[in-house]
Amino acid sequence: MDDSPNNNAVVVKDLERRFGKFVAVNRVSFEVKKGEIFGFLGPNGAGKSTTIRMLCGILAPTSGSGTVAGFDVRTEAEKIKAHIGYMSQKFSLYEDLTVEENIDFYSGIYRIPPEKKRDRKEWVLEMAGLREHRHSRTSVLSGGWKQRLALGCAILHEPPVIFLDEPTSGVDPISRRQFWDLIYELAGKGVTIFVTTHYMDEAEYCDRIGLIYRGELIALGTPATLKTELMQDDVLEVSCERPQEAMEEISRLSGIKEVALFGKSLHVVTEDGAATASMLRAVLPEKGYAAPRVEPISPSLEDVFVSLIEARDRAETPQREVQG
Amino acid sequence: MKPRRVLAIARKESIQIRRDPRSLGMAIAMPMLLLVLFGYALTLDVDRVPLVVWDQSGTPASRELISRFAGSRYFSLKGYVQDYRDVERAIDSGETLMALVVPRDFAGQIESGRPAAVQLLADGSDSNTATIAIGYAEAVVQAYSRAITLDATQRLGARPLNPPVEMRTRVWFNADMESKNYIIPGLIPVIMMVIAALLTSLTIAREWERGTMEQLISTPVKGPELILGKLVPYFVIGMFDVLLAVLMGEFVFHVPLRGSLLLLFVMAAVFLVGALSLGMVISIVAKNQLLANQLAMILTFVPAFILSGLVYAISVMPWPIRLVTYLVPARYFVSLLKGIYLKGVGLSVLGGEAILLVVFAAAMVALANFKFRKKLV
Amino acid sequence: MLERIWQMLIKEFIQVLRDPKMKGVLLVMPVAQLIVFGYAVTTDVRNVRTAVYDLDNSVASRELVSRFASTGYFKIVEYVGTDERARELLDRGDAQIVLHMNRGFEDDLRAGRTAQLQVLADGTDSNTAGIALNYSAKIVGEYSQSILNGRALRLLGPVRQPGQVRLQSRAWFNENLESRNFYLPGVIAILVTLVTLLLTSMAVVREKEIGTMEQIMVTPIRPFEFILGKTVPFALISLVNVVLVTTVGVLWFNLPVRGSILRLLFATVLYLLTALGVGLVISTISNTQQQAMMSTFFFYMPSMLLSGFMFPIANMPVVVQWLTYLNPMRYFLVIIRGIFLKGVGFDVLWPQLVALAIIGVVTLGLASRRFRKTLA
Repeated sequence: MDDSPNNNAVVVKDLERRFGKFVAVNRVSFEVKKGEIFGFLGPNGAGKSTTIRMLCGILAPTSGSGTVAGFDVRTEAEKIKAHIGYMSQKFSLYEDLTVEENIDFYSGIYRIPPEKKRDRKEWVLEMAGLREHRHSRTSVLSGGWKQRLALGCAILHEPPVIFLDEPTSGVDPISRRQFWDLIYELAGKGVTIFVTTHYMDEAEYCDRIGLIYRGELIALGTPATLKTELMQDDVLEVSCERPQEAMEEISRLSGIKEVALFGKSLHVVTEDGAATASMLRAVLPEKGYAAPRVEPISPSLEDVFVSLIEARDRAETPQREVQG
Repeated sequence: MKPRRVLAIARKESIQIRRDPRSLGMAIAMPMLLLVLFGYALTLDVDRVPLVVWDQSGTPASRELISRFAGSRYFSLKGYVQDYRDVERAIDSGETLMALVVPRDFAGQIESGRPAAVQLLADGSDSNTATIAIGYAEAVVQAYSRAITLDATQRLGARPLNPPVEMRTRVWFNADMESKNYIIPGLIPVIMMVIAALLTSLTIAREWERGTMEQLISTPVKGPELILGKLVPYFVIGMFDVLLAVLMGEFVFHVPLRGSLLLLFVMAAVFLVGALSLGMVISIVAKNQLLANQLAMILTFVPAFILSGLVYAISVMPWPIRLVTYLVPARYFVSLLKGIYLKGVGLSVLGGEAILLVVFAAAMVALANFKFRKKLV
Repeated sequence: MLERIWQMLIKEFIQVLRDPKMKGVLLVMPVAQLIVFGYAVTTDVRNVRTAVYDLDNSVASRELVSRFASTGYFKIVEYVGTDERARELLDRGDAQIVLHMNRGFEDDLRAGRTAQLQVLADGTDSNTAGIALNYSAKIVGEYSQSILNGRALRLLGPVRQPGQVRLQSRAWFNENLESRNFYLPGVIAILVTLVTLLLTSMAVVREKEIGTMEQIMVTPIRPFEFILGKTVPFALISLVNVVLVTTVGVLWFNLPVRGSILRLLFATVLYLLTALGVGLVISTISNTQQQAMMSTFFFYMPSMLLSGFMFPIANMPVVVQWLTYLNPMRYFLVIIRGIFLKGVGFDVLWPQLVALAIIGVVTLGLASRRFRKTLA
C-alpha cells in the first residue's frame, strides 16, 4: 500500500532472478528517489533488461523483494502496471497500424478519459514531431520517430514512474539528444525515470547511475562521485604507434594498474600519474615506440566502468557503494 | 472487465485483419471452395464403374446377361478380353475395376436346369466402391436369374408365376440419396473449425514473437479482456462464413433445410466461440507461430475431417475411437446440423448434443483464460 | 560451400527441434494420428441398426427377418409395433433401417401373389444407406429365388428345372474388402504432406518476419545453398515420419506391404521433393507466417480432397478429373496404394513417377527463381 512517507519511487532489496542454474540478477539492492533520473548501465547480458522486467511486474523475481510506486513487485504486479509506463527494447509498436491508431489503441488500454483523450494524443504527436505523419504506417518511420512514438504511447496516462529499456539503441545521435531533452522535461515535472543503457555518454545525463555487471551491482552513485572514485588513481592518455603491441608492453611495466585501448590511443591507470608519465616518456622510445604523447586526463565514466569490471574479474570484491 | 479495453483490442485486431487482405480473402474464399468441391466434385456415390468382360460362352444367353450389365448406368463396359493375362493386366494397371467372366458351359448349365455361375473379379483396393459395385452386379445377376427362372417355368408349361417377394424402398430425410445433402450440412462445422483455428491460432503467438505482447503485459489490460477483444473480429468473420455456407447450400446446391434456421445460427455461434477459443489456447501455449501452426492443423483440421462423422460414420468405429470422437467438438455440431437440415428435428431430439456444445465452448473459454499469463516465461 | 549448407542445416535443426513441443508435434503426433485415424477411416458397413416392424408375424416373415439378422450386416435393435415408434427410432438415429411387413405377407406368398417388404432407410448417411439397401436387395433376391425354386420344383417335378444364375465375386488385393487397407496408405500420405508443407512454407517466411533474413543475406551464402539448408532438414524429418508412420501402420494394423520397400522409399523421396517445392513457392509469395499458413492451407485442402484419398477420382466430373492431373498427391496415392496393396512395381507405376518428377522440377525451379528475385 502506498502509505509510506518516504519519497522513494523504487525500492529494491536483494532482488534475484535465476533461469535454471544461470543467475541473471544476483541479489541487487538500490533505491530510486521520486523525480530522479536513474540510469542502469552495463554491457549486454549484464541483467539490465531482466531487472527492469521484474520491476514492471512482467517477470517474477525468484527471490528478494521490491516496490514500485509503493506497490510490491511480487504480490501487486497488476497495480504497478497501472502506475508505470514501460518502453521495451524493441519499441513494440504495431507496425501495421498507423501512428494515430497506435496512440488510440494505448489510449483505450489505459482508459484515458474521453475529455483528455484528444489532448493527450495531440500532446504525444507534438512531442514526437509526428503531426504530419499521424496517418503513416509505423513500419515506414525511422528509428528516431519510432522511439519517440513508443515513449509517447508509454506515457499517455501520465504515470509517475517510467521504465525505459535501452530506449536509444540503434537511433542516430541527434535523435538521441532530442530524446534526452524529452526525458529532462518529464523529470522536471516530477516523473521518476528509470533507464537502462549501454551508452556510457548517456550515463552522464542521469542523476544517479548503477553499474551492473554479470548480474551484480558493482557501483552506485552520481556520475561525479563515481569518477572521483578513481581519483585515487590517475589516468594517462598515451598515443603512440602500434598501440596494440604497446599495450602489451606497458601492462608489464611496474606501477601500471590498467591499460586499455580507447580508439587509437591507450588509457593507462596508475597510482602516481606524474611518475608513471615520465617513466613512460622515457621507456617507450627505448622499446621502439618513437615520440609517444603522454597526457594526464580526467577519467571518463567509461574508464571508471572498465576499471571496475576488470577489478571485478580479477577478484570477487563485494558491491561497493559510494555515498554521494 | 473494462469494455473500453476490450474495444481497444478488438479495434486494433480488426485494423490488422483488414490490412492483411490475403488472409482475409482466403478466410472467405476457402469455405466457398470447399462447398463447391463438395457440392460438385466429391461424392461417394458410385456409377459408371469400368468393367471388362471375358465371354467364354459366346451364346445368346451370355450376351443377354452382358447386355444387361452394359445397359446399367452403374457400369461402363470398357471392352472384351480373351484371356486371364489380359484381365490381370487390366486390373493391375487400374484400367478397369471389375472383370466379368462367363464360363464356357454357361448356356448349357442353364438349359439343363443347373445353377450357372459367373465370376466377378474386382479390384478390392477401394473397398467402398468395390462393395457398392459388387452389390450392383449382384442385383443385375439376380434380376437376370429371376427372369430366366420365370421364363423357363412358363415355357415348361406351368402357369405364369409372380416374383415371390418384392422389395420396396423408402428413403427418409434424404430421399434422392444424394451424398451432397448430408455432406454439405456436415461441412459447415468442419469449415468453421478450420477457419477458426487458422485465424486465431497465430494471433497471440505472433505478438509474442514480435515483442508487442511484452508491451501489452506491462499495461493494466487483463487476460480476459485481451482474449475477448481478440475473439470479437474473428467471430464476426466466422459467422459471416456460416451465413455464406448456408446461403450457398440453399441457393446453389439446393440442399433442403427442414429445421429451424434460428437454432442453426445459435448453435453455430456457440460452436464458433468454442472453436475460436481453442485456437486461442493453441496460440497461448505455443508462443511461436511455427509451433502454433502445426498444433492448429493437427488438433483441429484433420480430426474435424476424419473424426467428426462427416464422411466416416462414427457408429462403425471401434469404441476407443468413438470415445476419442467425443473430444472432437465438430462431431456434435455435425450431427446437430445433419439433424436440423435433413431431419428437421429440434432441441427435443438434439438437446443432448446442444448441451455438449455449450460445455465445449465454455471449457475452451475457461482454458484460454486460465492458460494466459501476463508474465514472461 | 558444403560447409555453409551444413551450418544452415544444423541451425535449422536446432531451431526447429529446440522446443520439446515441436518434437512432440513432429514425431509423436503423426503416429498418434495414424492410430486414431486408422481406426476411424472405415466405410465398411456392418451392424447396421435395424428395427423390425413385422405386423404379419408369420413363419415366412420371420424367416425373412432371420435371413437379414444372420448376415452380420444388420443388427436388430428393436421390434416395433407402430408407425410412430418406427419414425421415432429413425428420427433419433437409433435405427438406420426399418423392415416393414404388413399383415398378409405370408398369405400373399401362399396365394402366389407378390408379397411386399418395405425397407425404410435413413438417408442421412446416404453412403451407408445405399450399401445397406444393396445388401437388403440381395437378401430379398435370394429369398425370392429360393421360393421360386421351390415352386418350380412343385410345378415341374425334380427332373426339369429352370435354370438360375449366381454370381461369385472375388476381390483382389483386399480380399476382405477392408476399407482400412484402402485408407491407411492414404492417411500416411496426407499426414506427411501436411507436416512437410507447413514446415517448409513457414521456414523461409519466418526469417523474413523475424528479421534474421537480412542477417543471413549479408553473409556470402548463395541462394540455392540457403534453400537447400532450409529444406533438407524438413525433408529428413518428413522421411523419418514416413518410415515411422508406415512401420506403425504395418505392425499395428497389419497393413499389407506387398511391394518393395525400397521402391516405396524412392517414390516417397521423390514426392517429398515435390512437396518441398510447393512449400517453398508458398514461402516466397508470403510476407508473414500467417499468410504462409493460409496459403498452405488453401493449397492443401483441395489437394487432399481431390487426391482420391477419400473420394474416388472416377466419381468426379470430367473437368475436375483433368484438374487432378496437376495434383502431386494424386500420383503419390496411386503409387503408395499400388505398392502396399497391389504389390506392383515401377513398370506399372512409371507414369506416376514421371508426373511427380515433372511437378517437382517445375515447383523447385519456380521457387528458386522467385527466391532469387526476392533476395536481389
